[in-house]
Amino acid sequence: MQANLKLKGLLVITLLPALLLYSFFVIIPIFWSSYYGFFEWSGLGEATYIGFQNYMEVIQSSVFWRSFKNNMIIVAASVFGQVPIALALALMLRKRNWFQKVVRSAVFLPMVISTVVVGLIWGYIYDPELGVINAVLRAVGLESWTKSWLSDPSVNMYAVAVPIIWNYIGPYLIIFIAAIQNIPSEMEEAAMIDGASGWKKLIYIILPNMWTTIKVAVVLCISGSLKAFDQVFVMTGGGPAESTEILATYMYNNTFLVYRYGYGSAVSTMIIILSLILIGISQLLMRRKNG
Amino acid sequence: MKKALLGLVIVLMLTGCIPNADSETTNEETSGKTTISIWHNFAGDDLRARKVRDMIASFEEKNPNIEVDEQAIPVDGYRQRISTVAAADELPDVFLTYAGSFTDEFYHGDLIQPITPLFNEHSDWKNAFLDGALEPYNYDGELYSAPVAMSATSFLYYNKDMFEEHHLSVPKTWNEWMEVIEAFNQQGITPIALGNKAPWVAQSTTFGAIADRVTGTEWFLNAVEQDEASFTDPIFLDALNRFKQLVDKGAYADGANSMDNTQAEQYFAQGKAAMMINGAWSLSSLGASQSEEVLNNIGVTVVPTIEDGKGSGNTITGGPGGGFLLSSKTEGKAKDAALDLIYKLSNAEAQKQIAESNSMVMYDVEIDKKNVNPLFYEAFNLIREVEFAPVYDLYLTSEAGEAVNNGLQEIMLGGDPEKVAETIQKAQASNE
Amino acid sequence: MKKRWFHLIKVTFLSIFSLMMIYPLYWLITSSFKSNEEFFAEPYAFPTSISWGNFTRAWEVADLGTAMINSVIVTVSATALTVFLGALTAYVLSRFTFRLKAFLMVFFLLGMLIPIHSTLVPLFTMMNQVGLLDTYWALILPYTAFELPIAIFLTVAYMSSIPKDLEEAAVIDGTGYWGIFFRIMLPLSVPALSTVAILSFLRYWNEFVFALVFINDNSLKTLPLSLSIFSDGFSTDYALTMAAMTIAVIPTIIMYLLFQEQIMKGMVAGSVKG
Repeated sequence: MQANLKLKGLLVITLLPALLLYSFFVIIPIFWSSYYGFFEWSGLGEATYIGFQNYMEVIQSSVFWRSFKNNMIIVAASVFGQVPIALALALMLRKRNWFQKVVRSAVFLPMVISTVVVGLIWGYIYDPELGVINAVLRAVGLESWTKSWLSDPSVNMYAVAVPIIWNYIGPYLIIFIAAIQNIPSEMEEAAMIDGASGWKKLIYIILPNMWTTIKVAVVLCISGSLKAFDQVFVMTGGGPAESTEILATYMYNNTFLVYRYGYGSAVSTMIIILSLILIGISQLLMRRKNG
Repeated sequence: MKKALLGLVIVLMLTGCIPNADSETTNEETSGKTTISIWHNFAGDDLRARKVRDMIASFEEKNPNIEVDEQAIPVDGYRQRISTVAAADELPDVFLTYAGSFTDEFYHGDLIQPITPLFNEHSDWKNAFLDGALEPYNYDGELYSAPVAMSATSFLYYNKDMFEEHHLSVPKTWNEWMEVIEAFNQQGITPIALGNKAPWVAQSTTFGAIADRVTGTEWFLNAVEQDEASFTDPIFLDALNRFKQLVDKGAYADGANSMDNTQAEQYFAQGKAAMMINGAWSLSSLGASQSEEVLNNIGVTVVPTIEDGKGSGNTITGGPGGGFLLSSKTEGKAKDAALDLIYKLSNAEAQKQIAESNSMVMYDVEIDKKNVNPLFYEAFNLIREVEFAPVYDLYLTSEAGEAVNNGLQEIMLGGDPEKVAETIQKAQASNE
Repeated sequence: MKKRWFHLIKVTFLSIFSLMMIYPLYWLITSSFKSNEEFFAEPYAFPTSISWGNFTRAWEVADLGTAMINSVIVTVSATALTVFLGALTAYVLSRFTFRLKAFLMVFFLLGMLIPIHSTLVPLFTMMNQVGLLDTYWALILPYTAFELPIAIFLTVAYMSSIPKDLEEAAVIDGTGYWGIFFRIMLPLSVPALSTVAILSFLRYWNEFVFALVFINDNSLKTLPLSLSIFSDGFSTDYALTMAAMTIAVIPTIIMYLLFQEQIMKGMVAGSVKG
């Protein structure tokens, strides 16, 4: 009984600081924000209660759903780009010689650059006149492939997704390297004795042991891509003509460019709801695969 | 267990909402010194920003009883910062505003008070403002600010050598303009440099001027009020189609929508494009970044007239620019100090200082040719011979302004002007 | 023979890949030595002359010295707080069973989905009422709060993989819960915690929007705010912007190079234990 009380005290003391901090700065503002969603409010002066009008408008807005689609492109690019690339790199980078160390450092390097700088640099890389990409295409005789990558709506969303992938391969690589190193070495040795090597080892030993980590990475990917903002904001601001608008820029533009705080708040509430649904779906899918 | 959590949340909300002891009203301090706060966006390294900061510093020096709490906020985040503090009712005593809907919001929110006494006290000063300069800040007969800038957004800049080399003359009419564009295109030269990544650029620099020439100013002002004019009217569609014609003629480079304004200026200055339609801000940025030789090779004029249009041809879109506002909460000694500061930053001397840092002002002032760059001097004289036409986004609601901006980008991507017109009309009508 | 070819392809691939990762940073640094004219005329060439003019000018105008100190204070405190609270919470969530556990786990994970920008206005109002604005806390606390979910998530995943025998032995020796936390769990979780530390350090160092809205006082401004000072909406001084960005990025690179060894060591420790 006493031990039980002591344990309860410990739980309260250890959990309370994080819980308080998190509730106050993250959770409560969400409720405020969804509450603001019921008002027509320019941010200045009086707010008028308008019921579900903002929420209805969000659901009916074609730009909102285009933003959602664009977000899905980024999610897909991250899940099927970042995760496999990081995984492949992690498998290739298992030695600790200087070459591999340099490669590891290089892969992580983009993380240290602020997202604003990343957006700016890639804006230059994509520039139709001065950009590296078009310069290379011209040099190898593929003149007809040159494009204005960020303003041509048929390609610009994919162009925007690349820097986001590029930016965040590093952390996934580290997570994967850590996971591979944590695979008990007896298991690998046993596999070697059984004559399993190369692909077989990968499929039967390494991947199954990393499944939890991969799942973690996928969830991080999804939530990270849904929150993506800075790079898109710097590279295109959601334009031209809202063709690269994603959920976060749509919300931001409505709140701080058009001064519809109420509508912007309704959009952010919808973003949270959509994210929850997506994560739920991804969890279900992966559980099935696992079982 | 959910109840327990809910309880916690409620407690937090309550403690979060109980107003703390008034930390806000620190305007007047007991020490006898008056503190006033001022926020502005003259944060950068350009000549004008430095001059304005110097003026504030010298004000503080000359008034030992007044302490000025100055915040220079980068332009990028300025509107957002001011909006956020306004939403929380925490505006500084004095702050820079932009003419038009931004100021309207403060007025309608009762967040500012008039500075009319200042104008009554200094009538010479009041009379020296150019025609219409104080109009945007006049609400029900009371004046709320004095502009310290002129926004002139649609100069046509051209490269003298390039026109000469190809035996072309600077276009005066729409048809001449189309011919010139075609001629440059045949030479493989981009006719007009445009950096429309921030989508207000095409609207503010180019479309406003074209539309004014087509529809005339009166129609536009009526359409803003939704008074027997609508953005779906054929006349406005004609204006949009003129812009589409520019696009279809290949006036702009391929990536114009992903280039920023500075890149476009450089593109033009390096002789990669023959013309550029841009605002007075280019006078200062080109002046700061280009050599005398390059500047002498640049000419400046107005956008060509449209012969069968309703508007007068000799106009530049623009008008009074930003000025300083006084918060409605500032009272007593702090108010006196704030009024003094506003005067100091917008009086005749201040206007001259600003003009001589290669920035246009709405004030009758003589400038010394030696103190400014040649391009600025040419434009400064040009502006006195033309009339002003309204800048679209200063009159439209912010929502409709965005609709125009995005619509022009859509047209550049091959969109349908008719649909664009509908969207603009819907946005403007929703706020009436 | 086949193996050798494979090795060669692998090395080539990795080299090209690394160059792609490094190039933009190289471009940033070389650009910061150029004048505006040179920057636009020769965006990819090596600078014609090495002059430090851009750096000294940017440092002065944007008052980068003060900004640097503020960024260090905010980033280091918030990172320390994040690592400590994250580890403590993860310890409890991964090692004890109690009724609210599953609920709390989900509750914390929800935070990973919340776009930071959607809370700006309410957060501003709330912090204003409790008098937090314009203090270092106005950044340290929300930064930590927003990073906690990922910190907890990563650390719980890692701690769950640590075998329980060590703890059981310690309990038999009479070590208390705190003793287990500080002497066993914390040292064993160094790999996960260094990942958390690096991720949060970088995020805090580069964060712009909260810093913009919650800090008014010039003397408290952090670095990212000082980077946008050279852009006024109409024009951007690219040379000074690049120089300021280079100055801002150097501490993070140094931090990373120092910390990186730490992570690698931690990983080895982790795998030896496994």
